[in-house]
Amino acid sequence: MASEKTTNEMYQVGKSIPKVDAREKVLGRAQYIADLTRPNMLFGAMLQSPYAHAKIISYDTAAAEEVPGVKFVLTGDDFGDHKMGPFIKDEGAIAKGKVRYMGEPVACVAAEDEATARAAALLIDVEYEELPAVLSPEAALEPGAAVLHEDLADYFKVFEAIAEDNLMSYTEISEGDVDTAWDECDLIVENTYETQAQNHLSLEPCGALAEVEPDGLINLWSANQSVFRVQANVCEALGLPMSRVRSMTPKVGAGFGNKMEAHIQPLCVALALATKRPVKMILSREEDFETVRARHPFKIRYKTGVKNDGTFVAREVELLLDGGAFADDSPGVLGNAALMSMGPYHFPNAKAFGKVAYTNHLRFAAFRGFGNPQVTFAGEAQIDEIADKLGIDPIDLRLKNMLGKGEKWFGGQKVDSNGLQECLEKVRASSDWDNRRKNSGENGVGVSAAGHISGLLATGAIVRMLEDGTFVLNTGATDIGQGSDTVLTQICAESLQIPIENIRTAAPDTDGSPYNWGTTASRVTYTTGRAVVGAAEDAVRQIKDYAAILLESPADDLELREGGMVGIKGANKEVSFFEIAAMTHWGVGGPIVGSHTLVFDQPTIDPKIAVAKGMPFTNIGVFTFAAMVSEVAIDKVTGKASAEGAWYAVDVGQAINPGLVEGQVDGGYAQGLGYALFEEMVWDDGRLANPTLMDYKAPGTAEVPYEIDTTIVEHPEPDGPFGAKGVGEITLVTVPASIANAITHASGVRLRKLPLSPERVLNGLIENENT
Amino acid sequence: MTEARYFEPETVDEVVALLAADEDAKCVAGGASLVAMMNARLVEPSQLISLRHVEELQKIELNEDGWLQIGALVRHCDVVIAAELTEGNQVLSQAAGLIANPVIRDMGTIGGSVGHFDPAADYPVALAALGAEIEIAGANGRRSVPAGEFFIDWYETALAPSDLITSIRVPPAPVGSAGIYEKLAKVQGDMGIAMVAVVMAMAGDAINYLAVSVGGCGPTPIRLPDAEQALIGGSVDDAALQDFSNKLVAASDPVDDVRASAAYRKVLIPRFVAQAIDKAKAKLGEAS
Repeated sequence: MASEKTTNEMYQVGKSIPKVDAREKVLGRAQYIADLTRPNMLFGAMLQSPYAHAKIISYDTAAAEEVPGVKFVLTGDDFGDHKMGPFIKDEGAIAKGKVRYMGEPVACVAAEDEATARAAALLIDVEYEELPAVLSPEAALEPGAAVLHEDLADYFKVFEAIAEDNLMSYTEISEGDVDTAWDECDLIVENTYETQAQNHLSLEPCGALAEVEPDGLINLWSANQSVFRVQANVCEALGLPMSRVRSMTPKVGAGFGNKMEAHIQPLCVALALATKRPVKMILSREEDFETVRARHPFKIRYKTGVKNDGTFVAREVELLLDGGAFADDSPGVLGNAALMSMGPYHFPNAKAFGKVAYTNHLRFAAFRGFGNPQVTFAGEAQIDEIADKLGIDPIDLRLKNMLGKGEKWFGGQKVDSNGLQECLEKVRASSDWDNRRKNSGENGVGVSAAGHISGLLATGAIVRMLEDGTFVLNTGATDIGQGSDTVLTQICAESLQIPIENIRTAAPDTDGSPYNWGTTASRVTYTTGRAVVGAAEDAVRQIKDYAAILLESPADDLELREGGMVGIKGANKEVSFFEIAAMTHWGVGGPIVGSHTLVFDQPTIDPKIAVAKGMPFTNIGVFTFAAMVSEVAIDKVTGKASAEGAWYAVDVGQAINPGLVEGQVDGGYAQGLGYALFEEMVWDDGRLANPTLMDYKAPGTAEVPYEIDTTIVEHPEPDGPFGAKGVGEITLVTVPASIANAITHASGVRLRKLPLSPERVLNGLIENENT
Repeated sequence: MTEARYFEPETVDEVVALLAADEDAKCVAGGASLVAMMNARLVEPSQLISLRHVEELQKIELNEDGWLQIGALVRHCDVVIAAELTEGNQVLSQAAGLIANPVIRDMGTIGGSVGHFDPAADYPVALAALGAEIEIAGANGRRSVPAGEFFIDWYETALAPSDLITSIRVPPAPVGSAGIYEKLAKVQGDMGIAMVAVVMAMAGDAINYLAVSVGGCGPTPIRLPDAEQALIGGSVDDAALQDFSNKLVAASDPVDDVRASAAYRKVLIPRFVAQAIDKAKAKLGEAS
């Protein structure tokens, strides 16, 4: 599928055109879920659990039902035993029988206005019998610990899960033999690392609007990353056939994994079914913090053995994840963390294994990087420690051990496009690394490198010619603000050789869009882009067949020409898409519809190379690469580290829209910087202590360096659309380690726990002063 | 659901009468804290008394005794640029400039902030260092309370339910003094982890005026006037300064919260104070 043209020769690909929806967003006219309204609409609100773990004894809804304006009150008693979940089906639409975390929805109300609904929800009286709460994975896995899911063994699981009591999933991958390899090593370094919970902090909190049509069919709009996952979750949680639910999305105010699986859509649909009126529910920021999902806290042990010349010999990684009250994407995050834990390096002997446990916290789940930021923080910090002990430059040590041509990823998957060497060389130059590393001034610089996946699962595209020869592109992919509508339009326009404005992108709609697993896993450009190219090629075949009739020339002798024309190769004779559309609509053949679907099928584990147990997925994607250098300044009085510079090089295969690639770098950096330095969800005995923007602090413009230097590296992915692969996640993955390594360079302090707070840096400075 | 009644009185007497008539009534000035607390359902006032039309609360003026009177409704952004705050009194304009973000500074008022008294707020630390006084109108008339007595405990002040802060009075700056206000926050615009305000004057190498106030490290700003007095006549580099800092640490009573631990704050106090005094000294050096 890769084009033979270079970027400069391409018509629409490789151009930094503005986002196709930039104008409506800048003008404030874009419609988000909170903007939508339906005639006769009610508002929903929920009551949240005051306990981390408790049996529900009874409900008294009388006081709430008596409030004027209240139309319906639902509790767990109104729901069946249906369960949803992407890996383990363990979660109902609402708490039933027991509550498993503080803040969990236990009842909900539909009323004529939002204030009435919210006030009435608080009048629902629930009697509980408190149970012992398990608030850490260690406590959860203790023998005799209170069990969250008594029926875990009976739950439906989409993979061969190793699960029992509070052990949600165990995964192990190994190659070679680490146990004997330690003897070959000249230096073995072993450390433990810890990472914190991070909130996704989408600008737009989660929300949904459901209505039941007269024929009983349900229309559902919501803030989501996949209309298809919403459809599946709602139907699984409520026991409905998927043919009864139509899932749609307005514009989405960002999603970083938080809107991939269900939030309140099942509850909202249940209220609409109960009241037979449209119901809208919009979460407050606090509710969003308390009930949606967050990044997993990890406890990590890394043991790495090397030769004196820096050659990597063996690495063993052990992981322990807090999974929260429901499995959600946790088994996948554990599996991906294990798969990414060797980094983009060759270890002849490698073993990664770990557990994720159920606890009485809200569910931890997918979040930009999907387990990779945690292990990359640890692994890349440890490589710097090794470099320091061996007296080798950190970039040189990475170059020496990175996956080379033909070398396979941990687990055995082939790596076709690998621009890591160029990434490392580019950031070395752009950051003036060699000079900055020598200067022992106030500021420090640190490097990190990473690989990440791009891809997985199923996707499709339909390219439909309209009466006038322009097109509708329908993929079902939700643009969550990152610009996939623009990128997919560029891919389609390049394939058809037509102007951008001759393509309309259809909004995702489970009734009319081809299946798309979701906007997640850095996959839309790569997988959906492939489907768009395939659908456009299908349309082009048909276009040429009809053009052949009009031009009285064999289709093989025809070529597309820029602007929507088909011509005879080597001749001036040509026919326009307009003429072809007219012919097919009114005379011959029928309107042109091109389509293509695919499911990503490269196996992740090669059993001839690696042994794997409890793997939650089989075909996860192709690989992207990045390297970055961070510069930090340390305030020696307070210990506060601040970011002063950032240099990236990112291998994206082919930048479809370089401006949007830079946007992903900027956003990934800022979110990664928050993760590295500031952000942390803190629990106080089961209660989330900082579920507000007053107490949960993300970086603002003052904390992000003015310029983030980005070098785009292009090593085409053979089956990617024009060689492209994804960039959504990897730009965050590299941040914490590069900052931690820069702090060490600046101050001599090595921190192994995120966030890298002033307190931790200062403790390190004082410790160093005293030794 | 009850909705708050809304009033727009024009005089301080009317405000006090409204407050006296209903203990669940709240005054609203900039709304920077009150509206956030209402949104979080931490307070549900029965009445909202807007102060926007109360003329007396709006102005900054120099009193005949040389004290600067800052009306309760003066916004943070106007304190930042108040030309009357000179020399050591600049700690107040520096503190105002570090409150939250420009949007909040354009709305929030000095009276609201002082009355709300978040222990991590900026004004109380600066006012304690300056020996300012809080002017209050209440059911029993008007009175003046020194900052050191106004801030009592966590979120507790000398205000009675029907009291209204009318102004803040700041004494003339010590002659030849310099002021330094320092704040450590997680990110720009956040509440402080710890704050320090230093007002200092020197004669040659010797300190001849010193006021140090530490915030965020206990229920109220910490000031130790006797210990400050003991430093007068000494040099800035004196080991006595270390002694002084140790006393501040001993007087502190910080808590663990989502921003930092109590232990960190205790470690921070001497380092932060020493830095502020160094900066004050440098500023005095520039001025002379």
